[in-house]
Amino acid sequence: MTTATAAAHRPGLHSWLTMIRCEAKMVVRDTAGLVVPIGLPLLILVMNASAAGDEEITAGRTALDLYILPLVFTIVTATIGIINMPSFLAYYRRSGILRRLAVTPASPAMVLVAQVVVSLVQAILGIGLAFAVAVLAFGAHPPVDVGSAVGIVVVSIAAMYALGMVVAALAPTPNSAVAIGLVGFFGLGALGGLFGGRDSLPDPLATLGEWLPFGASVEALSNAWAGQPVEAVHLLSLAVSAVLGAVIAAMFFRWD
Amino acid sequence: MSEPAILAEGLHKRYGDTVAVDDISLRVERGETWGILGTNGAGKTTTVELIAGLRAPDSGSVRVLGLDPRRDRAALRQVLGVQLQHAYLHGALTVEELLGLYRSFYPDPRSTDELLELVELTKQRRTRFEKLSGGQQQRLSIALALAGRPQVVILDELTTGLDPRARRRMWAAVESLREETVILVSHAMEEVERLCDRVALIDGGRVIASGTPADLVAQSGAADLDEAFVVLTGKELEIEEESA
Repeated sequence: MTTATAAAHRPGLHSWLTMIRCEAKMVVRDTAGLVVPIGLPLLILVMNASAAGDEEITAGRTALDLYILPLVFTIVTATIGIINMPSFLAYYRRSGILRRLAVTPASPAMVLVAQVVVSLVQAILGIGLAFAVAVLAFGAHPPVDVGSAVGIVVVSIAAMYALGMVVAALAPTPNSAVAIGLVGFFGLGALGGLFGGRDSLPDPLATLGEWLPFGASVEALSNAWAGQPVEAVHLLSLAVSAVLGAVIAAMFFRWD
Repeated sequence: MSEPAILAEGLHKRYGDTVAVDDISLRVERGETWGILGTNGAGKTTTVELIAGLRAPDSGSVRVLGLDPRRDRAALRQVLGVQLQHAYLHGALTVEELLGLYRSFYPDPRSTDELLELVELTKQRRTRFEKLSGGQQQRLSIALALAGRPQVVILDELTTGLDPRARRRMWAAVESLREETVILVSHAMEEVERLCDRVALIDGGRVIASGTPADLVAQSGAADLDEAFVVLTGKELEIEEESA
């Protein structure tokens, strides 16, 4: 009896790297997709920076440092995580690309991880560019507590991606993925200070916004910039979003 | 002693109230090329999806090279090559990049040059998938199905929508697969007659006749396979329109 030779060989490191390189090429060749995560945050930065750059709040940090930059960084992570990544994945599913991969030894995890890695690079570029412009053109300052700020950006990225994965896993079509992503982004954003401070919201909504990942990310980054201790509720919000989102996405992600 | 390449017994699959596959049994020996022939909605694609493990049957069983397509999924993926109907590939990647990606999934893949030659895409190696003609896209998708040196190859609607010249090229590529077991889903008589050792005629989710093309013709008392199909199913084999 010759049963198939197959001791289940899994695609190795070379295959993972190839997949990541292919994803990167797809993203770079889709130029329009780069506009939102890089362009929108820059626009918001430029529109608000000049006034906010002169207004010192605490510890030598201005309103630009404490309010605008945390918001801009969060917009970068949220647009990439919640809008861009799920629309790519939904397009892959809709077009049959994921279905095609499902009959190869590639696993769903490979596509997801490759997409995460590539959008991570986008996030770093987007944040780096926004920060460079803020420092060079508007005299922004680095965070008092750099370590915390970096850590929060990392957790924020994880939370936003996890939410994006949930959108990708649950949305029935690419259009609905974009729609759900946009609604999610603006919904979380509105409650989290995207359209002006949360202080102007009714108390229950302001509190809710602070617990949701967008607001939590802005608040936590703002604290790190001022050198104040980051509040547990914000970290908890980001961590819970990341873990819960990853679990839900892993349970529901489908090939077709 | 010799285990068949594919052994399907009493497959049944329904979607809601629609029975897609009612009762299908197949025994495909190693190295054979089998045609699965039927009208639209006869259950061809579902049958193939059950064999490839993309769906689970409601009842009945399938073994491919002795493997259960669902339970032994990882092992089966190593030895099975599938070309799916209506599957698109990463549009912005080139022929070469896509071959590189799919080759990377397997421990001992065919070389890129060999694959390009097999489906005659050597000149298009740096062309993006979205810029290829329909026939070229089809051919690339066959090359990807063969990248991992599969022992069993499933080709779903190999030449639908291709011009006669492209069709002949595809046929030549399939004819070159001598070692492999091939399942060819088709509604093109000429193709089945030319390429297949045996044919299963499927209608209403059941195998209504099977055998060599010559057997089917003799069995039905018809003049050719086309007529045999009409006699056996009572249906004309319409030309399938390519739909998005």
